[in-house]
Amino acid sequence: MNPEPDVVVVGAGPAGLAAAAVLGRHGARVLVVDEQQRPGGQIYRQPPTGFTRPDRHARAGQALLAEAAAAPNVGWLPDSTAWGVFGTRAGLDDYAGPAPGPGRIRVGVHTPAGGRMLEPAALLLTAGAYDLPVPFPGWTLPGVLTAGGVQTFVKAQGLLPGRRVVLAGGHPLLLVVAAQLVEAGATVVEVAFSQHLRTLVPGPRDLLAALGSAGKLAEGAAALATLHRARVPIRFGTAVSSAAGADAVTSVTLSRVDPAGAPVAGGERALACDVLALGYGFVPSTELARQAGCAVRWRPAEGGWVVEHDEWLRTSVPGVSAAGELTGVAGAEQAEVEGRLAAYGILRELGRLDAARARTLARPVRRLLARRRRFAAAVLSRFAPAAALLDALLTDDTVVCRCEEVRAGDISRALCDHPHLGTANAVKLLTRAGMGLCQGRSCAPAVCRLVAQTGRTAQQVGTFTAQAPVKPVPLAVLAADRAV
Amino acid sequence: MARYDAVVVGGGLLGCAVAWHLARAGTRVLVVEKDQLNRHASGQNAGSLHFQLEYRMVEHGDDAARLAARALPLHLDAMRAWAGLETDLGRPCGVAQRGGLMLAETPAQVAALDRKAALEREYGLDVEILEGERLRELAPYLADSVRAAALLPGEGKANPRLVTPAFAHAATAHGAEIRTGHRVTALHRDGGRWHLTGADGRLDTADTVVLAAGVWTTELAAMADVRLPAFPVGLTMSATARTAPLLPHLVQHVGRRLSMKQTGEGNILLGGGWPAKLVTRHGRVDLDHNPELRYESLTGNADAARVVPAVMGLPVIRSWTGMTTLTPDQLPLLGPIPRRPGLYAATGGSAFTLGPTYARLLAATLLGGQPDLSLDDYSPARFGALNFV
Repeated sequence: MNPEPDVVVVGAGPAGLAAAAVLGRHGARVLVVDEQQRPGGQIYRQPPTGFTRPDRHARAGQALLAEAAAAPNVGWLPDSTAWGVFGTRAGLDDYAGPAPGPGRIRVGVHTPAGGRMLEPAALLLTAGAYDLPVPFPGWTLPGVLTAGGVQTFVKAQGLLPGRRVVLAGGHPLLLVVAAQLVEAGATVVEVAFSQHLRTLVPGPRDLLAALGSAGKLAEGAAALATLHRARVPIRFGTAVSSAAGADAVTSVTLSRVDPAGAPVAGGERALACDVLALGYGFVPSTELARQAGCAVRWRPAEGGWVVEHDEWLRTSVPGVSAAGELTGVAGAEQAEVEGRLAAYGILRELGRLDAARARTLARPVRRLLARRRRFAAAVLSRFAPAAALLDALLTDDTVVCRCEEVRAGDISRALCDHPHLGTANAVKLLTRAGMGLCQGRSCAPAVCRLVAQTGRTAQQVGTFTAQAPVKPVPLAVLAADRAV
Repeated sequence: MARYDAVVVGGGLLGCAVAWHLARAGTRVLVVEKDQLNRHASGQNAGSLHFQLEYRMVEHGDDAARLAARALPLHLDAMRAWAGLETDLGRPCGVAQRGGLMLAETPAQVAALDRKAALEREYGLDVEILEGERLRELAPYLADSVRAAALLPGEGKANPRLVTPAFAHAATAHGAEIRTGHRVTALHRDGGRWHLTGADGRLDTADTVVLAAGVWTTELAAMADVRLPAFPVGLTMSATARTAPLLPHLVQHVGRRLSMKQTGEGNILLGGGWPAKLVTRHGRVDLDHNPELRYESLTGNADAARVVPAVMGLPVIRSWTGMTTLTPDQLPLLGPIPRRPGLYAATGGSAFTLGPTYARLLAATLLGGQPDLSLDDYSPARFGALNFV
């Protein structure tokens, strides 16, 4: 049996890789738990072992992947899910169950070999983000995918999910994915941004901030050039208002939207396609952090509920830190920088760096972080979808919770029928929205919006309580751990 | 200042059900709830309608079981009450009474099952011990390790998501008022009426106050300078993904903590008394935080489910914790509080399963009638020694 790791890192994307490398180099025993087969996360996703077709992003991540792979003291648990954190609510000293070692955190992990309980001294959550689900009529048809999902097909194994693709939403990732699809041989029918062009063009001050992220701009410019060569139309002030098809999507309806985001009647047109890729932005994967009891705060421009932290990225729960998209969606480059900073904070906490040395090492990282944050604030917040658009897309018939097949109308009726309901959790209990396999990852944003429409703030409505296991774990796996 | 005939503190099953009975009788009644309706034990329990004595009532020996059995008249009444509830309320409550099985896997457990059944039959409960062929025929899903089971046909399940909202809806239809997000912070008697002060300073007065606030009942009683011996206990429940119908019965175990049932939607719900840790702040129990999940409860509950092997391959999709209220003798705390005219308590015991019965009997008492079942065994008066004035 391996000795318990000093630090468990959950997620092998940019933040997790950078943190693992720093921690390992400073002598901390690190174990990285990741759901994927190979490290890299979504942005630096690598093809499975044996495949050799790195794309632009894989190349972009090579330096970081190599740094993490070369770092000593770093172990990897691929294909594994960290599904619960235990013993964090009460002080560990008065914990009634079998106590973990002094100052230890218990993390339940589901690996291909079965269940496992890890007891590190520190836990770093770098679980990243997932595509913001935007419900509208037809969004549950096969062939309607998220931009991130399409990218996974293309990046992992060079697969095309279809031949004729419409991309729609409001996030610049759409351009990158569209270019990747063109390069992989698909026909991109159109890229539709719901925003009007003038709201997307940055002002001079924003451009100045964006200079700190030359890589991002170059990536966007290259994608635009690819799309221009392929004569792909890019339209603004345009949104997909419905998708149709018998067994899978065969056509989508595009509507003109006004500058506030509301669809304009009479401006509809239909496009034939077999894939609709949606990219409206990202939601931080905070479920494990919330299950662990970490405080969150409402930051709509950064993806919704984000994990609160101090200047060392420590959360409100002793021993638990968070880095990357969990602290507010801001992209891979910021995530990597936050990963390094969190690692210095943990090393300081573990006594592997004294306070002064940690401060010195962290200084250049903090400077970089400040620059990245300026970029994120200037650019990324422009791409958040307009409330008027989200509300207009959500018709009564639209399925909101696809696990439990709860429609927007069911929730509206419940709210009308039970005027005392005022929180996301209360609506979940009455309607089953959020009670399915995904624990509300898909429906929480829309359900919360519906509750807030009764005149309540996002803070009053809250979000669904995250419950262990935050991702499904077979009953037999849990029972087997009992027998040990 | 608003005047009511009755204020019910607690927006759970009991509070809403008492309000429904009172409103139907023409009483001007207000329900106050500090959170959302159905937010705590009423909505967090796993919805068992268990009328046999539970494991927790028989695990401490025959004397303790005999004491707990004094609630059996309520069990018999509640078994009937649930059968008619959806008709009474005009709303679905997910009630299904297709029988419950209490399992035994060892000779000692079979003997315990026999003793328990004998005690239950004294009170008129129609319990039958099944073994061998008859048991397998009724419950082919059981593991080979199960030697015998006590069957009670009237057991089953109700849907905790729906029951309290249905009572609340029916109560408001009869004119009851419901106020959520309203926490009572002071309770005193003045000029022959009870005065309730909310956290926001809002004042209500009433002739009668019912404390139906689950684990918060004791602190409310303390506001009226009354000590009630009721204790919060943290519990763990979990749910699997949906699956095709495989478990028509409520399944419990006579020698282990276990309750299992399948919801109308197809999820298997697991529970049965696996503890959760009450959260303490500054060394004191903090009831406003949900109890902390214990890993050992989750894995222990999963292990207990082996008696139905078909469920073991299902993914667990969430677990949750909640609190219930226990009294020292495991009996309800139900009825008037001595020396506090117009102040009533309703908590403790199996308050979900027996809730409709508690509410009906308490309302009958409140309305000045004589309930058709004596509440003497459950009266707060049995703990009168705790209160000097």
